[in-house]
Amino acid sequence: MKSFRVSILGSLLFFHGFTYANGEKANSYLQDIKPVLKERCFACHGALKQKGKLRLDTVAAMEDGDVLGEDGELLARIVSKDTDEHMPPEGEPLHEHEIAAIKRWLADGAPAPPDEKPEADPKSHWAFQHIERPPGLSVGKDNPIDVYLASRHKAGKLVPQPVAERTILIRRLYLDLIGLPPTPDQLASKEPINTIIDDLLASPRYGERWGRHWMDIWRYSDWYGLGNEVRDSQKHLWRWRDWIVNSLNENKGYDQMIREMLAGDEIAPSDPKVIAATGFLARSYFKFNRTTWLDNTIEHTSKAFMGLTMNCAKCHDHKYDPIDHVDYYKFRAIFEPYQVRVDAVPGQLDLEKDGLARVYDGNLEAATYLHKRGEESKADKRRMIRPGPPSVLSAMWSPPKSIDLPKEAWHPDSRSFVQEAVLAKAWDKVTAAEAHLAKLKLKPASKKKELPLETQNKPIQEVAGTDQILVDNFSKSRPDLWELVGEDWRYQGGLLSLTKPSIDSSFLRSKKQHPEDFEVELRFRTTGGDRWKSVGVRFDVDESGNNSHWVYTSVGGNKVHLAHTVEGKDQYTNGMVSRPIKLNQEYTLNLKVRGSLINVALDGNFLFAFNLPRRNPGAIQLLAYDAIADFYRIEVRPLPAEVVLKEAREKAKLLAAKEVVTQEVIELAEAKLRVAQAGYAFKMAQVEADQTSDGNAIEMARRKQLEASLAQAKVDHLDPKKAAKAGKMIAKFEADLKAENLPEFQPISVSKVSLIKTPNKNALPSPGSYPKTSSGRRTALANWLTHRDHPLTARVAVNHLWLRHFGSPLVESVEDFGLRAPKPLHQDLLDFLAVELIESGWDMKHLHRLMVSSEAWQRSSSNRGADHATLASDPENREFWRMNSRRMESQVVRDSLLHLAGTLDLKQGGPPVMPSPDAKRRSLYFFHSRDGRSKFLETFDDADVFVCYRRSESIVPQQALAMMNSKTAAEAARKIAASFGKDLDNEKFIKAVFFKILGRKAYESELAESLTFLKQSLNREHFVHALINLNDFFVIR
Amino acid sequence: MNPCDPDSISRRRILQSALGFSGLALNGIMASEKHFPPDGKPHFEPKAKRVIWLFMRGGVSHMESFDPKPELNKYAGKSIGETPYKEVLDPKKIRKLRIPIKGDGNGHTRTKIFPLQTGFKKYGQSGIEVSDWFPHIGSCVDDIAFIRSMWTSDNNHGAQLQFHSGRHFLDPRVPTIGAWINYGLGSLSDSLPQFINIGPRFFDKKDAHYLGPAYDAVHLKIDPENPLDYAKPQNGMTREAQLRNLNFTNKLNRLSADQYPLDPVIEARMKSYELAFRMQTAIPETLDFSKESNETRKLYGLDQKETKAFGQQLLAARRLSERGVRFIQIMHGDGAAGAWDHHSGLKKGHAKLSQQVDLPTAGLLKDLKQRGLLKDTIVVFATEFGRTPGSQGADGRDHHSFGFSIWMAGGGIKGGVVHGATDELGYHAVEYPHYVTDVHATINHLMGIDPRRLEVPGHKRLDQDFGHVIKDILI
Repeated sequence: MKSFRVSILGSLLFFHGFTYANGEKANSYLQDIKPVLKERCFACHGALKQKGKLRLDTVAAMEDGDVLGEDGELLARIVSKDTDEHMPPEGEPLHEHEIAAIKRWLADGAPAPPDEKPEADPKSHWAFQHIERPPGLSVGKDNPIDVYLASRHKAGKLVPQPVAERTILIRRLYLDLIGLPPTPDQLASKEPINTIIDDLLASPRYGERWGRHWMDIWRYSDWYGLGNEVRDSQKHLWRWRDWIVNSLNENKGYDQMIREMLAGDEIAPSDPKVIAATGFLARSYFKFNRTTWLDNTIEHTSKAFMGLTMNCAKCHDHKYDPIDHVDYYKFRAIFEPYQVRVDAVPGQLDLEKDGLARVYDGNLEAATYLHKRGEESKADKRRMIRPGPPSVLSAMWSPPKSIDLPKEAWHPDSRSFVQEAVLAKAWDKVTAAEAHLAKLKLKPASKKKELPLETQNKPIQEVAGTDQILVDNFSKSRPDLWELVGEDWRYQGGLLSLTKPSIDSSFLRSKKQHPEDFEVELRFRTTGGDRWKSVGVRFDVDESGNNSHWVYTSVGGNKVHLAHTVEGKDQYTNGMVSRPIKLNQEYTLNLKVRGSLINVALDGNFLFAFNLPRRNPGAIQLLAYDAIADFYRIEVRPLPAEVVLKEAREKAKLLAAKEVVTQEVIELAEAKLRVAQAGYAFKMAQVEADQTSDGNAIEMARRKQLEASLAQAKVDHLDPKKAAKAGKMIAKFEADLKAENLPEFQPISVSKVSLIKTPNKNALPSPGSYPKTSSGRRTALANWLTHRDHPLTARVAVNHLWLRHFGSPLVESVEDFGLRAPKPLHQDLLDFLAVELIESGWDMKHLHRLMVSSEAWQRSSSNRGADHATLASDPENREFWRMNSRRMESQVVRDSLLHLAGTLDLKQGGPPVMPSPDAKRRSLYFFHSRDGRSKFLETFDDADVFVCYRRSESIVPQQALAMMNSKTAAEAARKIAASFGKDLDNEKFIKAVFFKILGRKAYESELAESLTFLKQSLNREHFVHALINLNDFFVIR
Repeated sequence: MNPCDPDSISRRRILQSALGFSGLALNGIMASEKHFPPDGKPHFEPKAKRVIWLFMRGGVSHMESFDPKPELNKYAGKSIGETPYKEVLDPKKIRKLRIPIKGDGNGHTRTKIFPLQTGFKKYGQSGIEVSDWFPHIGSCVDDIAFIRSMWTSDNNHGAQLQFHSGRHFLDPRVPTIGAWINYGLGSLSDSLPQFINIGPRFFDKKDAHYLGPAYDAVHLKIDPENPLDYAKPQNGMTREAQLRNLNFTNKLNRLSADQYPLDPVIEARMKSYELAFRMQTAIPETLDFSKESNETRKLYGLDQKETKAFGQQLLAARRLSERGVRFIQIMHGDGAAGAWDHHSGLKKGHAKLSQQVDLPTAGLLKDLKQRGLLKDTIVVFATEFGRTPGSQGADGRDHHSFGFSIWMAGGGIKGGVVHGATDELGYHAVEYPHYVTDVHATINHLMGIDPRRLEVPGHKRLDQDFGHVIKDILI
């Protein structure tokens, strides 16, 4: 086999040598050899770098390097088996046929093609050149976009299409600028087009429409995690989304937006509204690995703002661009100190519920090292790398200056609203403890717990005659069936999970009473919890929740048990069977109740029967005590008369609900009141110390802290289990107080080092003592990016704007302006727009206006009637002789349907809305994260959560199914049809619907087809439904 | 990774390959693209036309399924260090894991030997040993190639994703094997999607990533009431009315084509509606088992409570196969981590789950064989990793990624063979170790695909992504 191959090779060599003339041999160099060298060798031996002082980009350079010849180094190195010698050093060796071609060429004396030019200096790459205004392009009477294109059309003998029909144009303007279709009145407007443009740009809807575009580019994502644990992005990141929308509406300069997103915490450390912008950086948070986190930050900061693929230099020098391995880590050093935290916002101290996710420099000392081959474990600790930009673009870099932060930045909980809220909370505890004590002293019995306000005194509905069956498979929230109490319930994966254990304070209570004689079956799985891990069902639950019976399985107690709650006190019965209950195992608990008799079964096995002492009509309640659990299904139904229950042995007995309030109970309540009072005193002193930083105040706070600890120890002392230890603590605290041996001062601390576990949390400051300075590195980065001389930032931005207005970009690779991006056909146009952006003060509305008021943008998007020569010579419309049609993005499809139906809720901003066919807010407010997205939006190519510099426009059958069959579409069709009077005749109806949905008149042929359709179908709703399924509906013409 | 990336997804590709659409003048919108999608033809003569991919989520114990290890009984209760095989714990031998979730309670070395929780015996002509939990699969061993030397590098359930895509949980998301097959090969049906997923997904809900949403699996619930998202009108429209609407929209679309000549989108949109309309009936028709004989129903275990759910899915898979679906991916085992994840109560848990899948899986093999479909259908039975030879807690096994078993059968695959082996404790894959992508390579090879020819510019794949064909199991 081997010899056979050699002989073939030999004859090939002979064959080539024999037949090819010299010119053709040089040709073979250009066809077969140079491309290989370019792909495999030029990165190190070309214009980018000249390792070993060798270039391989021309034959002349190879001659200079003395590597040619059949026994020269070029061949020797590519065939070498020695790993130190072998070239190229990375990746697979060259293929046999490539080596054979090189051998052949060398044997022929390495003929060179005539006039071979070396690779261009990468610094001369078009996108790295200073942005200059192209001559003759200034804003004046004629739109410079049209001036520019007209001269090209003239030169290329292209005939542009005329401006589109007015209503098509108005629809285009509305969808493009605000993402909602115009109403028939708006379509019929007589206002000049420029006035309509101004009105739309001034509409708050503009910021929502274009905000969603920038959310794509900037990778907006709501948090993702497991249970309450954040793994990706951050909770409350919507504040950044609102900042985007508001900034656009205010027409904040693009440069300022960049500065606020990268360094809002440094440039406006006291302004939470600005700091919200740093959500851009908080979004890259990744729980498991700091390097992955920073890799994302680096990759997407450089791609989004300057179209550079820095990520390609993580493991080695960039193969195409003049960015070397060290440049990557210089860029990383800019971000090295930054961390994420959540600060409190007015009105809410619980950061799970609301807060400001933001960044700050938490690790000022963190060093950056080069990772050899990109491996974190191979950090080169010999050399610390300083922050900086890629060397090729370093001209406008000013080194970072450390920034002193005001107190509210390094101690956010010293802000008065936080301190007031902390004090109010402490005071609430005092009043509650006082009330409790007072009640004990007045009443013989005390209630077990206060119910959350929203469930108090809500009447439980009477059983309806026919509707006695309650079935829920927990696949989605059913507010019609249940009162849901507690924050930790999650409908996920087709089941209901309780994600945090509580002492029976998270529960679901049925809105209706269950039948008196009934059967309930609950399928569930206990997944964890604290001690008891008890899960089960309550029934006969009265309105106060203070009286019920309950049966539960307990992992901690290894049993299934029946208990009563009477006036808030739990009474455990002898109705019990011991058996191991396992975590993560699915169980089915079945209760059958007739009169006072109950039968309890687990997984179909009868466990015990019991006589209930007292029955009251009441509700069903899911119970979890000390437990987290998944609930799969519940069914409650009347117990058929023919079902025979097993009798119970024991007679019913119920302990008296009354309780004698003992002296001990009073003492405990008094001690608890003292804890609350001491706690309040401590908070007061803390606040005082925080505000004044006065030595005496601090000492007072330390004393009050010790007193609070002492008060708590005294409460513990009353608990027999804790008494011994508490006694010692009391003695110690009292001695400490006497000796003035006070604890360290603790500032008020609400802010968290995020709701996160950070990969290097050990190195982080604790809340309340964040660094008092910030490195200024990110400010330096932002200033560099927005420097007038930065060649990329403005070009990349206007290219994004152009793409989203015109449907095709000026530079095809929108996130890569490096050497792989060829000089664009319309560089003058790109540069003009970039200069215009910069010189207008980075005014984006100015750019929008410039683009959409151009004739180029307003042309018809049809090829119809086009000049034949134009169509033949530029079928791809590279010269913008017509407008491009585009499909609406997923958000615009949904928003348009709702808007046409008149059901769109235009409320702005706020926390994300869970996607559902019943939700009416604009789509950009939908929860959008790694595993929580709208199914409807996804069908139409929703933004990829991880990266989306450009939306795709697919056409797949799932879209057709969604539009034919979804509730969203069906409801829109119904509402739109109903919005027209029944008295309209078919023809008028058809015309009106066409105008409303497609923004244009029906053609005669369409009118005829429509009349025929309505004659057969007789259903106007179906007619509307057909129209929203038209291609012309999805497309922005 | 990125369907939004302009390099990776183009309208033209979607039009052409999702809809078999080619005849129109495409130049208007997208002629500037350099990259062309595959033409849908195999690169070389295929041995198989379709894949049924059964995946057990959570991690099936290899020792108690297809790689019995009697030494575990011999040394039960001893620590591994006390056995003659203590070198399995040699740190050098422990392949470098990449730990995605630090500090997790699971995914640890477990050194106290836990005896086999079930017996095993030899089956068939080949005498291959299979555990007593899989007697029906045992009865098919002469049609199966067992691979007892799989390994992976994620010690947690991200390994599910890794088994499908070849990439670790911490890496960027890349297309799965099903998406590649969907992308690489043309459609065999104009009424059904090429690539279907049945059952609970893993962390990653997508398959195609940078190949674009057109190549994602279409998710089917094997619920005759609602087998497809948006499969039934929400406004009570009859099929007749729907067809009338469809014809009407297409007429109007065609009229619009007069106004917008040379616009390829219009034609593509019409075709997508036609396929959607057919899917609405084709999928319910496929999932209508009423014409299946009682023998067939029994074969799949539809008559038994335990086996009915999975049996229905497998019967659906056969019916989808017959109707031209290329890749049917069936996931078994609910829950976030997957049901087969028996850190405790392994005996009871595995016994229960194996009962759910054993009979129907064997039924599928027998049914495919008797209908002559097995010769060009690849059936894969896989899981993300094995379980530790040592015990976790009193009666469970932990995740184990150094050696585990899967099997393949059908088109172009030898029956009655065992390939590769773990050591005596089932710890390491010691003979012919195979990374998960070797399974992908084998499937590509049998389907006539050279994956290197499918590469998309801007999305360089690594050598490891391509894997190596497991030649020893090929006919």
